[in-house]
Amino acid sequence: MDLEDDTTVLTTLKSFNSFISRPEHPQRLSDQSAGSGNLQSQYKRSMELLEAAERVNSKHRYLQLDQEKKQMELSHKRARFELEKAASDSAIDLEHVVDRNQDLLGRIKKFEERESEVAKNLSEHIEANNALRKNLSSLNKKLEERDSRLNIANQTNISLKDEIRDLKQKIQNQESTASAQNLENQELQEQLDLQRRKYQELSQLCQNLQAAQSSCSEHIIKIKELERRLVLQEQDIAIVKTVKSEVARVPDLEKELKRLRDDNAFLRESRENCSLLKEEAEGLRKKLERMEKTKEELVNMELEKERLAEKLQAWENLGKSTGLNIRKPEDLSREVIQIQQREIALKEQNYTLNSRVRSVERAEAELTAEVSQQRSKTLEEQKKRETQDALVRRLQKRVILLTKERDGMRAILESYDSELAPSEYSPQLSRRLREAEDILQKTQNHNAEMEVQLTKAQEETGTLKIQLQTVQLELESLKKQQSSGADSNSSVTKEEVSILRQKIEDLEAERQRLEEQNNNLEMRLERHNLQGDYDPVKTRVLHFKMNPTTVAKQQRKQEMEDLQEEVTRLSDLVRALQEDPCVNMSSFSLSLPPSKEVLDLRKKLELSELKNQRLMEVFQKKIQEFRTVCCVLTGYQMDITTENQYRLTSVYAEHMDDVLLFKKGSNGSIQLLENDFSKSLGEMVALHLHHQKSIPAFLSAVTLDLFSRQTTV
Amino acid sequence: MTSTLKGITLKGSAELVAEFFSFGINNILYQRGIYPTETFTRVTHYDMSLFFTTDPKLKSYLTDVVSQLKEWLFECTVQKLVLVITCLETNEVLERWQFDIECDKSAKESSAPREKSLKTIQDEIRSVIRQITATVTFLPLLETPCAFDLLVYTDKDLVVPDKWEESGPQIIDQSEEVRLRSFTTSIHKVNSMVAYKKTN
Repeated sequence: MDLEDDTTVLTTLKSFNSFISRPEHPQRLSDQSAGSGNLQSQYKRSMELLEAAERVNSKHRYLQLDQEKKQMELSHKRARFELEKAASDSAIDLEHVVDRNQDLLGRIKKFEERESEVAKNLSEHIEANNALRKNLSSLNKKLEERDSRLNIANQTNISLKDEIRDLKQKIQNQESTASAQNLENQELQEQLDLQRRKYQELSQLCQNLQAAQSSCSEHIIKIKELERRLVLQEQDIAIVKTVKSEVARVPDLEKELKRLRDDNAFLRESRENCSLLKEEAEGLRKKLERMEKTKEELVNMELEKERLAEKLQAWENLGKSTGLNIRKPEDLSREVIQIQQREIALKEQNYTLNSRVRSVERAEAELTAEVSQQRSKTLEEQKKRETQDALVRRLQKRVILLTKERDGMRAILESYDSELAPSEYSPQLSRRLREAEDILQKTQNHNAEMEVQLTKAQEETGTLKIQLQTVQLELESLKKQQSSGADSNSSVTKEEVSILRQKIEDLEAERQRLEEQNNNLEMRLERHNLQGDYDPVKTRVLHFKMNPTTVAKQQRKQEMEDLQEEVTRLSDLVRALQEDPCVNMSSFSLSLPPSKEVLDLRKKLELSELKNQRLMEVFQKKIQEFRTVCCVLTGYQMDITTENQYRLTSVYAEHMDDVLLFKKGSNGSIQLLENDFSKSLGEMVALHLHHQKSIPAFLSAVTLDLFSRQTTV
Repeated sequence: MTSTLKGITLKGSAELVAEFFSFGINNILYQRGIYPTETFTRVTHYDMSLFFTTDPKLKSYLTDVVSQLKEWLFECTVQKLVLVITCLETNEVLERWQFDIECDKSAKESSAPREKSLKTIQDEIRSVIRQITATVTFLPLLETPCAFDLLVYTDKDLVVPDKWEESGPQIIDQSEEVRLRSFTTSIHKVNSMVAYKKTN
């Protein structure tokens, strides 16, 4: 900065120097231009220059200060900026620190939790340890116990070994006794041979004896036979006696026989009568059944009859309501047909009348047309006549005019004649006269023509009038005819027509009514048809004889009968049971057909019973086997005399009563019961039961004792 | 079947109608539960699945009736076939399925086949059988054991064959009737309807 300042100073100095050096030339120039120097002005100028220099200097200083100030500001700003930066950094650091702090706090918490868990675990472990220690101690105790037991067992083992040694010795003894017995046996066999020989001799003696005995028995038989014969003879004698007494009774018996025969015959007759009566009764019953059936049928028939009567009534009502003599559908149809025929006839009549009326009307129309034609003709004629009349009048007028003219002309001519001399004017006049006369002639001709025409027209009109009259006459005649046709035809026909119309209307109404009725009936017929009704005249209804319905009905009937029978049988049984409750049920063989279910169940029962039996057999066999094996192996036969009491009989027992009785206590322990035999074994009881507390040892000791007793004796 | 694909003769028509009755009666018996369901087996006919009985007694009865019916159809002497369902306990007629048969007797004289394809006839028959099946929805339930019978309405001059006998019309007292579809072979026209006892 100082350096910069220096440079600025230098630059300012330079610029100042240059500034100072520069104006000298213009001054000089001005000096030159102004003339020779003016010191005052020069001074002034230098002063001014000094002032300017000072000003520049101050300015420079100011600038320098300004720059310094700026610099300062800049540095200040920078410092502030840096400070701010540092502040922000520190803030961020602070945040980091705070975060870390929180993390650490969380960790501490976790560690605390873990610690607590660990502590818990530790306590558990300690408890487990304690338990294990306890177990260990108990196990130790057990071990000790076992050791003690083992010792005991060893002791017993030793004692048992001693016993075994004793037993071996005994066995050797027994073997020696056995050899001795063998020797004895041989001796005995020799004795046996001797005995056999003696036996043979004895048997020979015996045979001799038997022969003697047989001869003896034969004799005895003979004696017996003789005795029997004697008895028979005695019996014969007794029989003869009885026969004699019976012979004395024969006539009585014959009488009785006769009586009995009579009775028999009478009874036979009565039996026949009875059977006849039975048959009759049977017949009557059948008749009764038939009668009942017929009665039922009758009832059915009556019902049907009523139904039919109702139907008939309905029909009759229908007939009455319609006012027709309807008794049967055929009547109705007949009636309908009649009505239709009548209707047809009436229609025909109607048609003919209508046609007649129409023809008459047509004729009338023709006539009226003609009349109108004629009228128009007459009108035309009248018009013509009128025109002709007018023409005539005009012509007459003209004639009058012409006559007047002629008269005038004549007068003129006369005047001329009178006035003028006929010589002068005669040719002219004569010519004029002629001319006039010609004209007159012409007019007269014309007139005559006209008159002719008029007469013609008049004639024509006359003829037309005549025609008109004739036409009128004709018309009248026609009218008369019409009136006569309407009188005879009209006056009579009108009535007839009106009557006929009335009739037609009536018939139409009737027809409509009948049509309705017909429709109604057809609908009913249709309905009946739908319901299955039919016309018995045209149709017959057939069905197969053995159709399923009849079959099913028969089956049903059969079933019903069977059931009825059963019911009666059962009711009999019930009655019998009520009368005598101890009647044997089996006497009434209930032949109720057992249901399928029952049969199935029975079968199942049998099967299961069979299975049971087989199992029992197998069990028995097995048990027997087991018992014999037990007996053979242990030397004791075991029986259960009463509940929880066991009887043991040794195979070596000397007496049947030498048995050991054991009782099973409620806690499962087995105790020996005292009896005569057990009393004799006091020593063993004391040793094995009281001291050693072993029942098997006691039992084997008893066995050994008994065995030794048997063999030694 | 004597009918060709295009035309149909009297004999073919009689056979078709008899066949329809055989299947229709079986269908009704199955649908109305007159015989137990397990005595029926499924067969396919008229391009639809139908039930046919396996009960030998019922089978023989139906074949007897249908063969006789076929004869009568051929002679054009049959007017109606009625399937009557009777309650066995009360002997009351509960339902009557009636098939009115209109025979074109002119077909007996002229043997020329009519022009109507077998397919169209079978389509018509199928719709009739479908409708019979559908009627089960509105017919009252048969709660008691029932049996059925087939009645044939014939012309009066017919000779009654053996095994057949005359019968009553078995009309239902207070019935309601519903007409069903009909079909025609152009020789025989069969109008079907069902009448059933009104239930309170």
